[in-house]
Amino acid sequence: MLKVSVVSPEATLFEGEATSVVAPAFDGEVGILLNHAPMITVLGQGTLRVEGATPARFTVSGGFVQVVDNQVRVVTEQASRA
Amino acid sequence: MAKGRELIGRIKTTENTRKITRTMEMVAASKMKRASDRVTAARPYAKALSEVISSLYNEDLAERFPLLRQLTSEKRAAVVLLTANRGLCGGFNANLIKEARHTVAELEARGVQVDLHVVGRKGIGYFRYVGRDMASQRTDITDKPTAADAASLVDTLMADFISGAIDAVYVVHSQFHSVLSAPPHTDRVLPVSAPARSGAGRDYLLYPSADAILTELLPSYVRNAVYRALVETAAAEQAARRTAMKSATDNAGDMLHLLRRTYNRARQANITQEIAEIVGGAAALQG
Repeated sequence: MLKVSVVSPEATLFEGEATSVVAPAFDGEVGILLNHAPMITVLGQGTLRVEGATPARFTVSGGFVQVVDNQVRVVTEQASRA
Repeated sequence: MAKGRELIGRIKTTENTRKITRTMEMVAASKMKRASDRVTAARPYAKALSEVISSLYNEDLAERFPLLRQLTSEKRAAVVLLTANRGLCGGFNANLIKEARHTVAELEARGVQVDLHVVGRKGIGYFRYVGRDMASQRTDITDKPTAADAASLVDTLMADFISGAIDAVYVVHSQFHSVLSAPPHTDRVLPVSAPARSGAGRDYLLYPSADAILTELLPSYVRNAVYRALVETAAAEQAARRTAMKSATDNAGDMLHLLRRTYNRARQANITQEIAEIVGGAAALQG
């Protein structure tokens, strides 16, 4: 399972496990599955989807995604649950 | 019993004042709880941001980013002072103002021209009183500061820094260590001093590139530093107010104790005197 956390300056919006994450990168969507290589990518504007036992959707704008050792960290200045 | 009346009046006013200070103490305690929760909630973001920046940072990059430009000499600097809009919080505002004056004096001694930006009515009031020009004044930041407040505060300064109009930005704020310890502190937010590298750097796939990521993240990092200063100052204000109001309530209690004792003593003395007079009068009649 991927460990996912979504953080904004004001709060941690999501913390939990997921089977996949689809994030709106600067040049289009990027899908992240288990055992993804370590990666940092800049986010654009769009919907972030966390799929798994507790699916969640967020509207994000700006920030970045960091993937390392099956931990996905979405760090964004503006995020809200959608 | 003229003295007794007067004492009753004083007892009543002290009781009323104690009611107010006790209420303020409880309000500040609950606000402080929420404010310190916000301080805690801001940590993961700050941690994530500084980890990524430190893993991407290297000396070659520093040359190319205006926000990282380290200066050999400062000519003009901006000092942002964060204070509260309200008083009745002990030495909180006074301490922050003192720290700001200290910082400004130190910079000016080095021949730096200082622009003073003041947030909060108390700081503005002070510098207006001493007749110092302020580059900007703001009172619209509430005790629940948002990331947007931080952005509006620092974005113009960041633009000035990039254009070279100012060479450094300092923020005077309170560090919220705990309820009892929230000392004033001056932080330099610009130029950015890259966070120390923690642990071995990983080889990340970087999209689009290290440069582009840093371009995106450095302003966020600066804004976040200011946001943290705002939330910590807000929490420290409530903590200071709670402490001040607690001691005010305690003092009112002590004072009431003393006043009541004085009142009872006067009352008793009065009764004793009346009895003595009656006994004396009766004795005179019998005599």
